[in-house]
Amino acid sequence: MIDRRTALAGVVGMFGAAAFAPLARAAQLGKASGIPVISEGPPSVAVFNPAQRALMTALSERILPTTDTPGAIAAGVPAFIEKMLADWARPTDRVPILAGLDAIEARSQQDYKVAGAQATAEQQDALLTLAMNGQLPSGGVFFEAFRQLVLAGYYTSEIGITQEREYLPVPGEYNGEFLYSQVNKVYSA
Amino acid sequence: MASTNRFDAIVIGSGVSGGFAAKELTEKGLRVLMLDRGVMVEHGEGYAYDGKPAYEVPARNMMPPGLRDSDYFIAKHGYVQPSNRAFYNDDRLNPYAFDEGSKFYWIRPGAVGGKSLIWGRWSFRWSPADFEANKRDGIDGDWPIRYDDLAPWYSYVEKYIGVSGSRENLPYLPDSEFQPPMPMNIAEKWLKQRLETEFPGRKLINTRLSNMTEDKPEQNRTKCQFRNQCGNGCSFGAYFSTQAVTLPAARATGRLTLRADAVVTNLEYDAAKKRVTGVRFIDAKTGQAEVVNAGLVFLCASAMASNQILLNSRPAGSGRSHFDSSGTLGKYVMDHIFRVSIDGDIPGMDEYIEYGRRPGGVYIPRFRNNGGDEGVGFKRGYGYQGSARREPAPPVGFGASMKHGMRKYSGWKFGMGAFGECLPYEDNHVSLHADKVDRFGVPLMRFDVRFRENELRMMADARTQGEAMLKAAGLTNVTSSEGDHVPGDAIHEMGGARMGADPRSSVLNKWSQAHDATNLYVTDGAQMASVSCVNPSLTFMALTARAADHAVKQLASG
Repeated sequence: MIDRRTALAGVVGMFGAAAFAPLARAAQLGKASGIPVISEGPPSVAVFNPAQRALMTALSERILPTTDTPGAIAAGVPAFIEKMLADWARPTDRVPILAGLDAIEARSQQDYKVAGAQATAEQQDALLTLAMNGQLPSGGVFFEAFRQLVLAGYYTSEIGITQEREYLPVPGEYNGEFLYSQVNKVYSA
Repeated sequence: MASTNRFDAIVIGSGVSGGFAAKELTEKGLRVLMLDRGVMVEHGEGYAYDGKPAYEVPARNMMPPGLRDSDYFIAKHGYVQPSNRAFYNDDRLNPYAFDEGSKFYWIRPGAVGGKSLIWGRWSFRWSPADFEANKRDGIDGDWPIRYDDLAPWYSYVEKYIGVSGSRENLPYLPDSEFQPPMPMNIAEKWLKQRLETEFPGRKLINTRLSNMTEDKPEQNRTKCQFRNQCGNGCSFGAYFSTQAVTLPAARATGRLTLRADAVVTNLEYDAAKKRVTGVRFIDAKTGQAEVVNAGLVFLCASAMASNQILLNSRPAGSGRSHFDSSGTLGKYVMDHIFRVSIDGDIPGMDEYIEYGRRPGGVYIPRFRNNGGDEGVGFKRGYGYQGSARREPAPPVGFGASMKHGMRKYSGWKFGMGAFGECLPYEDNHVSLHADKVDRFGVPLMRFDVRFRENELRMMADARTQGEAMLKAAGLTNVTSSEGDHVPGDAIHEMGGARMGADPRSSVLNKWSQAHDATNLYVTDGAQMASVSCVNPSLTFMALTARAADHAVKQLASG
């Protein structure tokens, strides 16, 4: 009988000792075989200008704010969004995001006479609500796409997976009649 | 040309069939060379993202759409992700062809272990009726074997690999040598009771899965840990893969030589002796061609790739394969038809939830035409694979209310999909492209395979019956959908080099041995004369073990 803990220690030890080995191997693989490597590291192009980036960052936190657990900024969501739009998504996926940010920026200047990033949390919420309800140019499209980016970035981050939700790397057993009252947090997939 | 006597047998391919062939042949004393076109992946250390959460996987394990479009436009149907990408074929580098109107998804692996690393792991015995189906329906292509020929080999394979499931005593779905089943959850038990009451004779049973529920310490394998990340490779060895099961066994004999990156192009042949005399392959890394020979060749490259190798083995200046004296090579290609799904909400039981991530689910075995033609408008039948689960509540609005609203689970939902049997049609065929070759100089595979009226009627029935069953059982919000039915999409493609008693109408005999070459065995999906409606991999393994036994006995008797 294999001790399950021993097997698990093998898994953990392997990855702990070689955190970057997979990337190195992937790079080698790509070189040898012509198979493209998935881009890592900082974004290869700047998707946002400084004002857009500041507004995007502020709005990501309004979508998923810090409450009793950290919010979008602490979870690195703004950097994820820029990396996603720069290197992973299709170039056309940037269009509604940039258009929506510009529309929110214009509305902030109009209604509050401040840059969107400098507006109060309440004002930013009001601007997001206008977008959500389709009351800004391209607002509805922006809201759905932007919220999806924030959700994807947050719930795949370490904070999202291990703090907002409960991570069970090796459940070890299956119980199909587990009492819901014993669930503390939603389990990460 | 390197001609050596270093090997007694050459195994082409290292998936469920090739791995089993290598294990059986080496354990019977043969020195075996196993060739695979894919990259080497070692058990454990080759699973780069096993146990990794999304934030430690490139692109958070979301497949970048641009990369999917450029390199994995076919593999995406096989659920390719950044975490398992190394196990998949690159579709840009390895093209194939089909004509307008006969789209085919050829979903291929790209690593040693083949599809055993990335398969769905549902494991069923075929039934006695499956092996009699062509004869019973008056369809050309009677199997030269019956269930009883294979039953002991099913037992042999199951005991070795570990299959979890429940004993049901169903004549149309024979039991395996089971480890205990993975339990149903409370909602599935509820559904089982109600469905079986409403539809006497229909059953909802535990999944039959090659994920173990008991350890196999003698194989250094641990039972399933309920991570449900099988496709990333499992360092526990909890599910059957070449890496976890058959490769270690073959290596333990000291008689296995494994070469990755070895792309077999064709077999060389002595027409006078009716024997394969060489296996030609190209090293994908260097581009160098080599020819190796051995007294015995097991072709297990996967159903369609084996067809391609056979078709490309032909005399200079001839279009006709050495192995096609019957004229049936490349014909009668089949896949399961699936892309019908039915979903609904299961009321109540809100105080319960699942703990642990169970792979697999539940199965509704075939209930159509089990006793013969029932006049339902189509031949054969289908089964459903499904599961009940609770998902986190979806986002509503934004802000703290959305975030905290997502901290609960929605109610139980049940979803299932049908897998239907495709009939063998002579003109559902594959061939070599007349003028396009790949980077190794091999003519592209060209597919001309379509589902017909029988399959489409079957899917319409699966949709209607699925809705009826879930509604009658008491589910609410029952909906169904039918997607694009593209052959290959179920990744159960089979046929093209079928078994048969008559060398004039089949490629292989009842031992999976080529009619045209006594030392050539084809033991993957290419040999199938019909496809049942249940998953085929377990049957490939049983047929492979049986063929290896026959081949070695033939060698011994000279």
